[in-house]
Amino acid sequence: MSEAVAAERQSLIDAAIAGWQGLGWQLIREQPLAPAMNVALDEVLLGAVARGERPPLLRFWAWDAPAVILGRFQSVRNEINEAVAQERGVTIVRRITGGGAMFVQPEATITYSLLLPESAVKALSFAESYAALDSWAVATLRALGVDAWYAPLNDITSAEGKIGGAAQARRSKVVLHHTTISYQMNTAEMAQILRIGQEKLSDKGIASAAKRVSPLRRQTALARSALVDQLIDTFRAQFGLEETTLRPAESAAAAQLVAERYDADHWRYELP
Amino acid sequence: MHGEYKTPGGKLVVADFTVVEGQLRAVEISGDFFLYPDEALYTIVQALEGAPSTAQAVGFAERVRAALDAEVTMLGFSPEAIGMAIQRGLEAG
Repeated sequence: MSEAVAAERQSLIDAAIAGWQGLGWQLIREQPLAPAMNVALDEVLLGAVARGERPPLLRFWAWDAPAVILGRFQSVRNEINEAVAQERGVTIVRRITGGGAMFVQPEATITYSLLLPESAVKALSFAESYAALDSWAVATLRALGVDAWYAPLNDITSAEGKIGGAAQARRSKVVLHHTTISYQMNTAEMAQILRIGQEKLSDKGIASAAKRVSPLRRQTALARSALVDQLIDTFRAQFGLEETTLRPAESAAAAQLVAERYDADHWRYELP
Repeated sequence: MHGEYKTPGGKLVVADFTVVEGQLRAVEISGDFFLYPDEALYTIVQALEGAPSTAQAVGFAERVRAALDAEVTMLGFSPEAIGMAIQRGLEAG
């Protein structure tokens, strides 16, 4: 890409991001939930935004148990050492977004979802939308002294290694974009549970998955909850944010989806 | 059979399948790629089911490309990457 074209793209990206101000964003703060419930809520809230029942949303997730959250198109046996996962009480949940497996533990990660109309990113390519939708989080980390940057397509990274990753689904003219940032990952345990082969690391210039991830705790002294607060403050300052909570009907709809799909083997093993 | 291919700077594609009488059978395509809409995965798998195992990576890629509608978006992978994963599986035996 020539410098002139890159500058033109950047101004389009900046204009799109500026347009997210004043969309009437609402914030749903984290509360520890079962892994399948967290994933189901993404689908329920996507529907709520699509039907106009909710304005665009920023939701933080928290986990009440360890889990592997598989990407929409990943195979269970190719990605997970199921015997080890079972032994450690790690459940397996398939999500609706593509991308790679997330190994999550209570208090170990920071995960958020953004739900917004597709029209708010229509000027951007898919790849540009990933970087743009995480730009406020990268800016927060940099303001805290972490030398983080976006590594296309969907990673937040640093000189020390990968910090986080994002994934998107697009349905009913709504973009669901969620990002998981590693705070104090047990990378050794992750490496025992996830099968990350040499082919996946082939263009990364590193020899193991445990070395690939660099939890934020190694790069900042801030407590996890303080980091979440900083992220919320940055988002609020840049785009505006009004606090809200889950509605009982939304929690009930998510619980039903858990029973029908997210905790059902036909969905979990759809790609065995 | 099992083959993997990672697009440089992109995502991993995994192909699992068997070969019966010279044709691909029980094809499964998985990976950490992004694909819109979801249902396009079935189109991809159907395009490969029954393909002659001698088609080579470009031949598998061509079958996938021909089957997909223009509005399907593949992010971080391509028909060629799928063809490579299958070819690697065949070569690994």
